[in-house]
Amino acid sequence: MDIIIKTENVTKIFNPGMSDEVKAITDVSIEIKRGEVVVLKGPSGSGKTTLLSLIGCITRPTEGRVIVNGKNVAKLQERFLTGIRQKTFGFVFQQFNLIRSISVIENIMLPLYPTNIKLSAIKKRAESIMEKLGISNKKDFKVQRLSGGEQQRAAIARSLINEPEIILADEPTAHLDTNLSEEIMRIFQRLNEDGKTIVIATHDPFIYERQFIQRTIEMRDGVVKNILNKNHDV
Amino acid sequence: MEKHKKILEYTLSSLLRRRYKNLAIITVFSFIVAALYSILFLTHSLKKEALTVLKEAPELIVQKVSGGRHDLIPTDYMKRIQEIYGVGRIIPRYWGYYYDAITDSNYTLMGINGTHVLHSNSKDNENYPSPIPLPQGEGARGRVKDVFSDENIKGLKLLNGRMPSNRKECAIGKGVSDVRFTGIDGEIFLIDSKGKVLTFHVVGVFASESAILTNDLIVINKDDILELFGMPSDRATDIAVEVYNELEIPFVASKIREILPDTRPIMKGEIIRTYETLFNWRSGVIFTMFLGALLAFCILAWDKATGLSAEERQEIGILKAIGWETGDVLELKFWEGIVISFTSILTGMIIAYIHIFFLGASLFAPVLRGWSVLFPPFRLIPYVDLYQVFVVLFLTVIPYVASTIIPSWKAAITDPDTVMRG
Ligand SMILES: Nc1ncnc2c1ncn2[C@@H]1O[C@H](COP(=O)(O)OP(=O)(O)OP(=O)(O)O)[C@@H](O)[C@H]1O
Ligand SMILES: [Mg+2]
Repeated sequence: MDIIIKTENVTKIFNPGMSDEVKAITDVSIEIKRGEVVVLKGPSGSGKTTLLSLIGCITRPTEGRVIVNGKNVAKLQERFLTGIRQKTFGFVFQQFNLIRSISVIENIMLPLYPTNIKLSAIKKRAESIMEKLGISNKKDFKVQRLSGGEQQRAAIARSLINEPEIILADEPTAHLDTNLSEEIMRIFQRLNEDGKTIVIATHDPFIYERQFIQRTIEMRDGVVKNILNKNHDV
Repeated sequence: MEKHKKILEYTLSSLLRRRYKNLAIITVFSFIVAALYSILFLTHSLKKEALTVLKEAPELIVQKVSGGRHDLIPTDYMKRIQEIYGVGRIIPRYWGYYYDAITDSNYTLMGINGTHVLHSNSKDNENYPSPIPLPQGEGARGRVKDVFSDENIKGLKLLNGRMPSNRKECAIGKGVSDVRFTGIDGEIFLIDSKGKVLTFHVVGVFASESAILTNDLIVINKDDILELFGMPSDRATDIAVEVYNELEIPFVASKIREILPDTRPIMKGEIIRTYETLFNWRSGVIFTMFLGALLAFCILAWDKATGLSAEERQEIGILKAIGWETGDVLELKFWEGIVISFTSILTGMIIAYIHIFFLGASLFAPVLRGWSVLFPPFRLIPYVDLYQVFVVLFLTVIPYVASTIIPSWKAAITDPDTVMRG
């Protein structure tokens, strides 16, 4: 299996040189293979979200290289990054980052607006994903009317709309009960069986106990502490 | 194509989503634009109307000057002028201002039916000369009185009744008719220079459509005006001179100055320039208001340019993070700016049009009142200068759209992660 994501000695410092400077991750080197399901675990503040953001090209490393599909994205200009984001990644944000005041379905369709896919086709796709995630009945609700769990599922649905190669999910089950978590994990498993690469940041043991998870990368204070291969490799 | 359609759709839904904020912006923006266009429409129409009328005015007017002031001109000067080569008809004009203490207003009086017309090759009799009170000295009022050729203002009925043909008859403007509570078949009293009351029978009233020109006008017989103003019978207010060849006007003018050193020949070109200056000065007052409105607009634009709300910033970050390109975000903001500014401009333009051409610029009345006591409750003929329309368009749309796009552009080229956090 080829390497789809690779970080080489990546360090991320927020607000460098300022009084509120934070070294979020230090010298992180990991490799993720195509079709793999990897869990990033570690206590709060250990740098999980930061690492996901770096991989997902929504922020840049202060030092080191981030290689996605063989291309170093660390120094790429913004206009090249947008294309990579659109085609490669589906990002489930920890804070959901749904746009308030517009409907759930609009939020889910939004990533495909600046493409030449017909609106009706996008809508169909969105509806089918919502069906799977059990939020079809909330389709036309404004986002702020949804429960935390429903918002979480809307965020997951949005990350799937562009049929990404790589799904980056930041605490995707944080607001869900066991049944729903189970359902989400089944969805991830199915996506993985379809060949998607999935990186999940979580501290939910329920997730990293799952059978289909091949590796867990444990982080602490911004550095990789431990990489656990579950040897389910095919 | 499909892509732009969807972005546009999202723009509209975004605008609706922030409808109160956007409605507030559109309201302010519309009023500013309405003020700008009101000013432009008004000054342009006034100027245009005056100049249209001036086009019919005599090419050359000769005034007598004594002590640097406009004086009555001896009618026998006409014979001297007649000797100049290239001169056509020569018409004495009788006009002046009349202050009416009872109504505290000024009228413009004009005498017609001149019998002193000298004509070298007389084809038709010039019954209605064109008197133009000139904008100079205390008489400078920027008024044009040349309402007698129907071609001036096409398609408008200018006079109800008829023009005076006998003595003690008069035709009056709508404003005069209103302040004197009289109309056709009514009577007007005027006090002559010796304090004697003269009674005039009203035989015509100028239609309100021509009010800008005729509102304070009283047209009477030439002999009546001589009597009323106590003018010697061998004097006129000034003399209109026709020159066959337009190119010879300057030559004729200098010739007149040569043979009649106490006169001042005024060429129409000069008058038009004077009027233009005058109107420009008039609009100067309003121009200040124009600048004020523009300033208000700048504040609006500046306010937009300096800040995106946290929510807007976050939205841009999210859009970028889920795969929108910087260009897509800018397109969204571009449409947003275009929709808002064009809606506002259209609304503002309509408000201005109604204000100026249907409501008689009622909001500017306090500013314009100094113009004349009998400033007409006019209905201007709508003249719209496309050039001005586009100037305002450019002065507002471009900065507004820019002020919408620039901060968004700044947000859009920053790491989405940073932007999303606000
Ligand atoms: N944009 C930012 N600006 C400043 N500091 C940041 C920023 N993002 C993260 N940090 C800091 O970096 C460190 C790592 O944060 P990160 O969000 O990656 O942790 P995490 O492992 O995801 O934690 P959690 O489990 O609570 O989500 C924290 O100390 C945080 O304060
Ligand atoms: Mg986190």
